[in-house]
Amino acid sequence: MSSSADHADSKAAFKAGVVECLQLIPSYVPFGLVCGVASVQAGLGEWGGGSGCVCVRRFVAGGAHAVSVGRRSVDDRDCLGARGESANGGLQCGDFAAHRGRVAQGAHAVGGVSVDQTFISNEARHQRGEHMEHPLAFYLGCAMMLWPWWVLMNAIGAFAGAKLPSSWQLDFTIPLSFVAMVVPLLKTRSQILAAIAGGVAGVLLYAMPLKTGLIAACVFGTCVGMFVDAMLAKRASSEGAAR
Amino acid sequence: MNWGGFGTLDGWLAIIGLAVGTFAIRYSFIGLLAGRQLPPRFERALQLAVPAIFAALVVPLILFNAGEFNLGARWPHLVAAIITGVFAWWRRGGMLVPLIIGMASLHGLLWLIR
Repeated sequence: MSSSADHADSKAAFKAGVVECLQLIPSYVPFGLVCGVASVQAGLGEWGGGSGCVCVRRFVAGGAHAVSVGRRSVDDRDCLGARGESANGGLQCGDFAAHRGRVAQGAHAVGGVSVDQTFISNEARHQRGEHMEHPLAFYLGCAMMLWPWWVLMNAIGAFAGAKLPSSWQLDFTIPLSFVAMVVPLLKTRSQILAAIAGGVAGVLLYAMPLKTGLIAACVFGTCVGMFVDAMLAKRASSEGAAR
Repeated sequence: MNWGGFGTLDGWLAIIGLAVGTFAIRYSFIGLLAGRQLPPRFERALQLAVPAIFAALVVPLILFNAGEFNLGARWPHLVAAIITGVFAWWRRGGMLVPLIIGMASLHGLLWLIR
Protein backbone atom coordinates (compact mmCIF):
# COMPACT_ATOMS: atom_id res chain seq x y z
CA MET A 1 0.00 0.00 0.00
CA SER A 2 1.35 3.43 -0.84
CA SER A 3 1.96 5.72 2.06
CA SER A 4 -0.58 8.31 0.92
CA ALA A 5 -3.30 5.68 0.65
CA ASP A 6 -2.28 4.47 4.07
CA HIS A 7 -2.53 7.98 5.40
CA ALA A 8 -6.03 8.35 3.97
CA ASP A 9 -7.03 5.06 5.58
CA SER A 10 -5.78 6.13 8.94
CA LYS A 11 -7.66 9.44 8.61
CA ALA A 12 -10.81 7.48 7.84
CA ALA A 13 -10.24 5.33 10.92
CA PHE A 14 -9.75 8.43 13.06
CA LYS A 15 -12.99 9.91 11.73
CA ALA A 16 -14.84 6.66 12.38
CA GLY A 17 -13.60 6.78 15.97
CA VAL A 18 -14.81 10.35 16.34
CA VAL A 19 -18.24 9.47 14.95
CA GLU A 20 -18.54 6.34 17.07
CA CYS A 21 -17.82 8.15 20.29
CA LEU A 22 -19.70 11.29 19.35
CA GLN A 23 -22.81 9.18 19.81
CA LEU A 24 -21.66 8.23 23.27
CA ILE A 25 -21.35 11.80 24.51
CA PRO A 26 -25.01 12.18 25.59
CA SER A 27 -24.71 9.12 27.78
CA TYR A 28 -21.25 10.07 28.87
CA VAL A 29 -22.42 13.36 30.28
CA PRO A 30 -24.60 11.77 32.98
CA PHE A 31 -21.94 9.13 33.51
CA GLY A 32 -19.27 11.70 34.29
CA LEU A 33 -21.70 13.76 36.35
CA VAL A 34 -22.71 10.73 38.34
CA CYS A 35 -19.12 9.79 39.03
CA GLY A 36 -18.48 13.26 40.33
CA VAL A 37 -21.63 13.12 42.44
CA ALA A 38 -20.89 9.65 43.76
CA SER A 39 -17.35 10.61 44.73
CA VAL A 40 -18.55 13.54 46.76
CA GLN A 41 -21.56 11.79 48.30
CA ALA A 42 -19.38 8.93 49.43
CA GLY A 43 -17.02 11.29 51.19
CA LEU A 44 -14.01 9.65 49.61
CA GLY A 45 -12.79 7.71 52.59
CA GLU A 46 -9.76 6.53 50.69
CA TRP A 47 -8.32 10.03 50.80
CA GLY A 48 -7.97 9.65 54.51
CA GLY A 49 -10.98 11.37 55.96
CA GLY A 50 -13.21 14.26 55.12
CA SER A 51 -14.85 14.80 51.80
CA GLY A 52 -12.25 15.61 49.22
CA CYS A 53 -13.06 17.49 46.09
CA VAL A 54 -12.04 14.70 43.81
CA CYS A 55 -13.09 16.47 40.68
CA VAL A 56 -10.48 19.13 41.17
CA ARG A 57 -7.91 16.50 41.89
CA ARG A 58 -8.93 14.70 38.76
CA PHE A 59 -8.87 17.83 36.77
CA VAL A 60 -5.49 18.94 37.99
CA ALA A 61 -3.85 15.57 37.83
CA GLY A 62 -5.42 14.95 34.44
CA GLY A 63 -4.14 18.26 33.14
CA ALA A 64 -0.64 17.74 34.48
CA HIS A 65 -0.32 14.42 32.80
CA ALA A 66 -1.91 15.51 29.60
CA VAL A 67 1.20 17.60 29.27
CA SER A 68 3.60 14.72 29.69
CA VAL A 69 1.87 11.67 28.32
CA GLY A 70 -1.74 12.59 28.00
CA ARG A 71 -3.33 10.51 30.62
CA ARG A 72 -6.55 10.66 32.45
CA SER A 73 -5.71 10.76 36.10
CA VAL A 74 -7.95 9.45 38.78
CA ASP A 75 -10.42 7.37 36.92
CA ASP A 76 -13.58 5.37 37.19
CA ARG A 77 -11.86 2.99 39.53
CA ASP A 78 -11.74 5.77 41.97
CA CYS A 79 -15.28 6.69 41.27
CA LEU A 80 -16.51 3.18 41.97
CA GLY A 81 -14.09 2.95 44.85
CA ALA A 82 -15.76 5.94 46.33
CA ARG A 83 -18.88 3.85 46.68
CA GLY A 84 -16.92 1.31 48.62
CA GLU A 85 -17.23 -1.00 45.68
CA SER A 86 -13.87 -0.43 44.20
CA ALA A 87 -12.99 -1.94 40.93
CA ASN A 88 -9.41 -1.45 41.97
CA GLY A 89 -7.16 -3.79 40.15
CA GLY A 90 -10.09 -5.39 38.47
CA LEU A 91 -10.47 -3.03 35.62
CA GLN A 92 -6.82 -3.59 34.95
CA CYS A 93 -7.77 -7.04 33.90
CA GLY A 94 -10.37 -5.61 31.56
CA ASP A 95 -7.91 -3.01 30.41
CA PHE A 96 -5.32 -5.56 29.68
CA ALA A 97 -7.86 -7.58 27.78
CA ALA A 98 -9.29 -4.80 25.74
CA HIS A 99 -6.11 -3.12 24.65
CA ARG A 100 -4.08 -6.27 24.21
CA GLY A 101 -1.70 -4.99 21.68
CA ARG A 102 -4.47 -4.21 19.29
CA VAL A 103 -3.69 -0.61 19.66
CA ALA A 104 -0.61 -0.52 17.52
CA GLN A 105 2.98 0.27 18.25
CA GLY A 106 4.08 3.67 19.35
CA ALA A 107 0.89 4.17 21.29
CA HIS A 108 2.54 5.76 24.26
CA ALA A 109 -0.32 8.08 25.05
CA VAL A 110 -3.00 5.43 24.88
CA GLY A 111 -2.88 4.49 28.53
CA GLY A 112 -3.58 8.09 29.32
CA VAL A 113 -6.86 8.54 27.59
CA SER A 114 -8.26 5.12 28.21
CA VAL A 115 -11.70 5.14 29.69
CA ASP A 116 -13.99 2.14 29.69
CA GLN A 117 -16.05 3.50 26.85
CA THR A 118 -13.05 4.00 24.60
CA PHE A 119 -11.88 0.48 24.96
CA ILE A 120 -15.35 -0.99 24.65
CA SER A 121 -15.73 0.98 21.43
CA ASN A 122 -12.41 -0.37 20.27
CA GLU A 123 -13.54 -3.87 21.15
CA ALA A 124 -16.79 -3.37 19.21
CA ARG A 125 -14.81 -2.09 16.23
CA HIS A 126 -12.57 -5.13 16.38
CA GLN A 127 -15.60 -7.43 16.48
CA ARG A 128 -17.00 -5.71 13.40
CA GLY A 129 -13.64 -6.10 11.69
CA GLU A 130 -13.42 -2.45 10.72
CA HIS A 131 -10.22 -0.42 10.36
CA MET A 132 -8.09 -3.37 11.33
CA GLU A 133 -4.96 -1.67 10.00
CA HIS A 134 -5.47 1.49 11.99
CA PRO A 135 -6.76 0.68 15.45
CA LEU A 136 -4.73 3.47 17.02
CA ALA A 137 -6.20 6.17 14.79
CA PHE A 138 -9.69 4.93 15.61
CA TYR A 139 -8.89 4.82 19.28
CA LEU A 140 -7.48 8.32 19.34
CA GLY A 141 -10.51 9.68 17.48
CA CYS A 142 -12.66 8.06 20.09
CA ALA A 143 -10.60 9.32 23.00
CA MET A 144 -10.56 12.84 21.61
CA MET A 145 -14.33 12.87 21.85
CA LEU A 146 -14.66 11.35 25.31
CA TRP A 147 -11.74 12.24 27.48
CA PRO A 148 -12.33 16.01 27.75
CA TRP A 149 -15.97 15.34 28.59
CA TRP A 150 -14.96 12.92 31.25
CA VAL A 151 -12.82 15.46 33.02
CA LEU A 152 -15.28 18.33 32.62
CA MET A 153 -18.35 16.37 33.67
CA ASN A 154 -16.59 14.96 36.70
CA ALA A 155 -15.78 18.48 37.76
CA ILE A 156 -19.33 19.73 37.27
CA GLY A 157 -20.76 16.64 38.93
CA ALA A 158 -18.64 17.04 42.00
CA PHE A 159 -19.55 20.70 42.41
CA ALA A 160 -23.23 20.49 41.58
CA GLY A 161 -23.84 16.91 42.52
CA ALA A 162 -23.68 17.34 46.24
CA LYS A 163 -26.97 19.17 45.92
CA LEU A 164 -28.84 16.32 44.21
CA PRO A 165 -30.87 14.02 46.48
CA SER A 166 -29.36 10.57 46.90
CA SER A 167 -32.85 9.03 46.65
CA TRP A 168 -32.57 9.54 42.88
CA GLN A 169 -29.97 6.77 42.99
CA LEU A 170 -28.05 8.36 40.15
CA ASP A 171 -25.08 6.18 41.01
CA PHE A 172 -27.06 3.22 39.69
CA THR A 173 -26.54 4.57 36.17
CA ILE A 174 -22.95 3.34 36.47
CA PRO A 175 -23.74 -0.40 36.50
CA LEU A 176 -26.61 0.24 34.08
CA SER A 177 -24.32 1.90 31.57
CA PHE A 178 -21.90 -1.03 31.81
CA VAL A 179 -24.80 -3.40 31.20
CA ALA A 180 -25.90 -1.36 28.18
CA MET A 181 -22.37 -1.35 26.77
CA VAL A 182 -21.38 -4.94 27.34
CA VAL A 183 -24.56 -6.93 26.68
CA PRO A 184 -24.58 -6.13 22.94
CA LEU A 185 -21.03 -7.50 22.71
CA LEU A 186 -22.09 -10.94 23.94
CA LYS A 187 -22.47 -13.04 20.85
CA THR A 188 -21.13 -16.53 21.39
CA ARG A 189 -22.03 -19.14 23.98
CA SER A 190 -18.51 -18.99 25.41
CA GLN A 191 -18.78 -15.24 25.94
CA ILE A 192 -22.19 -15.51 27.59
CA LEU A 193 -21.06 -18.29 29.93
CA ALA A 194 -17.84 -16.40 30.73
CA ALA A 195 -20.00 -13.44 31.73
CA ILE A 196 -22.36 -15.56 33.86
CA ALA A 197 -19.46 -17.30 35.59
CA GLY A 198 -17.69 -13.98 36.12
CA GLY A 199 -20.82 -12.43 37.58
CA VAL A 200 -21.54 -15.29 39.98
CA ALA A 201 -17.91 -15.46 41.06
CA GLY A 202 -17.88 -11.69 41.47
CA VAL A 203 -20.67 -11.98 44.03
CA LEU A 204 -19.26 -15.03 45.82
CA LEU A 205 -15.71 -13.66 46.02
CA TYR A 206 -16.75 -10.11 46.80
CA ALA A 207 -15.42 -10.26 50.36
CA MET A 208 -11.85 -11.11 49.34
CA PRO A 209 -9.39 -8.49 50.52
CA LEU A 210 -8.17 -5.60 48.36
CA LYS A 211 -10.75 -6.45 45.71
CA THR A 212 -8.67 -9.42 44.62
CA GLY A 213 -12.02 -11.23 44.30
CA LEU A 214 -12.64 -9.25 41.15
CA ILE A 215 -9.44 -10.49 39.57
CA ALA A 216 -10.16 -14.05 40.70
CA ALA A 217 -13.67 -13.78 39.26
CA CYS A 218 -12.24 -12.52 35.98
CA VAL A 219 -9.83 -15.43 35.81
CA PHE A 220 -12.59 -17.90 36.70
CA GLY A 221 -14.99 -16.49 34.10
CA THR A 222 -12.26 -16.59 31.46
CA CYS A 223 -11.44 -20.22 32.30
CA VAL A 224 -15.12 -21.17 32.05
CA GLY A 225 -15.29 -19.47 28.65
CA MET A 226 -12.15 -21.31 27.49
CA PHE A 227 -13.60 -24.58 28.71
CA VAL A 228 -16.85 -23.99 26.80
CA ASP A 229 -14.76 -23.12 23.75
CA ALA A 230 -12.89 -26.40 24.03
CA MET A 231 -16.14 -28.37 24.49
CA LEU A 232 -17.72 -26.73 21.44
CA ALA A 233 -14.61 -27.39 19.34
CA LYS A 234 -14.57 -31.01 20.46
CA ARG A 235 -18.24 -31.46 19.62
CA ALA A 236 -17.80 -29.79 16.23
CA SER A 237 -14.83 -32.03 15.35
CA SER A 238 -16.61 -35.22 16.44
CA GLU A 239 -19.66 -34.25 14.41
CA GLY A 240 -17.35 -33.58 11.48
CA ALA A 241 -15.76 -37.03 11.92
CA ALA A 242 -19.18 -38.73 12.06
CA ARG A 243 -20.17 -37.35 8.68
CA MET B 1 -17.34 23.92 50.15
CA ASN B 2 -15.11 21.32 51.65
CA TRP B 3 -11.88 21.11 49.75
CA GLY B 4 -10.63 18.13 51.69
CA GLY B 5 -6.90 17.95 51.67
CA PHE B 6 -6.62 19.59 48.30
CA GLY B 7 -3.56 21.75 48.02
CA THR B 8 -1.75 20.11 50.91
CA LEU B 9 1.48 18.21 50.40
CA ASP B 10 -0.28 14.92 51.20
CA GLY B 11 -2.97 15.73 48.69
CA TRP B 12 -0.46 16.39 45.94
CA LEU B 13 1.57 13.30 46.81
CA ALA B 14 -1.61 11.25 46.59
CA ILE B 15 -2.47 12.77 43.21
CA ILE B 16 0.99 12.12 41.86
CA GLY B 17 1.12 8.61 43.30
CA LEU B 18 -2.27 7.64 41.89
CA ALA B 19 -1.50 9.17 38.52
CA VAL B 20 1.86 7.45 38.14
CA GLY B 21 0.53 4.14 39.44
CA THR B 22 -2.55 4.09 37.24
CA PHE B 23 -0.60 5.03 34.16
CA ALA B 24 2.08 2.43 34.87
CA ILE B 25 -0.53 -0.28 35.22
CA ARG B 26 -2.38 0.69 32.09
CA TYR B 27 0.69 1.29 30.02
CA SER B 28 2.59 -1.79 31.12
CA PHE B 29 0.49 -4.20 29.10
CA ILE B 30 0.18 -1.93 26.11
CA GLY B 31 3.92 -1.30 26.13
CA LEU B 32 4.73 -4.97 26.48
CA LEU B 33 2.20 -6.36 24.05
CA ALA B 34 1.70 -3.71 21.40
CA GLY B 35 2.62 -4.85 17.93
CA ARG B 36 3.42 -8.39 19.00
CA GLN B 37 1.83 -11.48 17.67
CA LEU B 38 0.14 -13.15 20.61
CA PRO B 39 -0.60 -16.86 20.76
CA PRO B 40 -4.18 -17.46 19.55
CA ARG B 41 -5.22 -19.15 22.78
CA PHE B 42 -3.98 -16.17 24.75
CA GLU B 43 -5.86 -13.81 22.44
CA ARG B 44 -8.98 -15.87 22.94
CA ALA B 45 -8.58 -15.83 26.73
CA LEU B 46 -8.31 -12.05 26.65
CA GLN B 47 -11.42 -11.83 24.52
CA LEU B 48 -13.33 -13.83 27.11
CA ALA B 49 -11.87 -11.82 29.97
CA VAL B 50 -13.81 -8.76 28.80
CA PRO B 51 -17.32 -10.10 29.53
CA ALA B 52 -16.02 -11.92 32.61
CA ILE B 53 -14.51 -8.85 34.26
CA PHE B 54 -17.41 -6.57 33.44
CA ALA B 55 -19.91 -9.06 34.83
CA ALA B 56 -17.80 -9.54 37.96
CA LEU B 57 -17.75 -5.79 38.39
CA VAL B 58 -21.38 -5.05 37.59
CA VAL B 59 -23.31 -7.86 39.28
CA PRO B 60 -22.17 -6.91 42.81
CA LEU B 61 -22.92 -3.26 42.02
CA ILE B 62 -26.47 -4.35 41.24
CA LEU B 63 -27.07 -6.82 44.06
CA PHE B 64 -25.10 -5.38 46.96
CA ASN B 65 -26.42 -2.81 49.36
CA ALA B 66 -23.90 -1.14 51.65
CA GLY B 67 -21.36 -3.90 51.06
CA GLU B 68 -23.80 -6.75 51.74
CA PHE B 69 -25.57 -9.09 49.36
CA ASN B 70 -29.21 -8.11 49.75
CA LEU B 71 -31.60 -9.39 47.11
CA GLY B 72 -34.58 -8.37 49.25
CA ALA B 73 -33.61 -4.71 48.91
CA ARG B 74 -32.01 -4.86 45.49
CA TRP B 75 -34.45 -6.90 43.40
CA PRO B 76 -35.86 -3.76 41.73
CA HIS B 77 -32.30 -2.92 40.69
CA LEU B 78 -31.86 -6.42 39.30
CA VAL B 79 -35.10 -6.16 37.31
CA ALA B 80 -34.12 -2.71 36.04
CA ALA B 81 -30.69 -4.02 34.98
CA ILE B 82 -32.29 -6.96 33.14
CA ILE B 83 -34.69 -4.63 31.33
CA THR B 84 -31.74 -2.41 30.38
CA GLY B 85 -29.73 -5.39 29.15
CA VAL B 86 -32.58 -6.80 27.09
CA PHE B 87 -33.27 -3.42 25.54
CA ALA B 88 -29.59 -2.79 24.78
CA TRP B 89 -29.31 -6.22 23.19
CA TRP B 90 -32.45 -5.70 21.12
CA ARG B 91 -31.51 -2.20 19.97
CA ARG B 92 -27.77 -2.43 19.53
CA GLY B 93 -25.86 0.83 19.70
CA GLY B 94 -26.58 3.88 21.75
CA MET B 95 -26.52 3.97 25.50
CA LEU B 96 -28.71 6.89 26.44
CA VAL B 97 -32.08 5.24 25.73
CA PRO B 98 -31.33 1.99 27.62
CA LEU B 99 -30.06 4.10 30.51
CA ILE B 100 -33.25 6.16 30.67
CA ILE B 101 -35.41 3.04 30.39
CA GLY B 102 -33.41 1.35 33.16
CA MET B 103 -33.66 4.26 35.55
CA ALA B 104 -37.36 4.71 34.75
CA SER B 105 -38.05 1.04 35.47
CA LEU B 106 -36.10 1.23 38.74
CA HIS B 107 -38.06 4.23 40.00
CA GLY B 108 -41.31 2.79 38.65
CA LEU B 109 -40.75 -0.40 40.63
CA LEU B 110 -39.68 1.46 43.75
CA TRP B 111 -42.82 3.59 43.47
CA LEU B 112 -45.05 0.54 43.02
CA ILE B 113 -43.76 -1.27 46.11
CA ARG B 114 -43.63 1.86 48.20
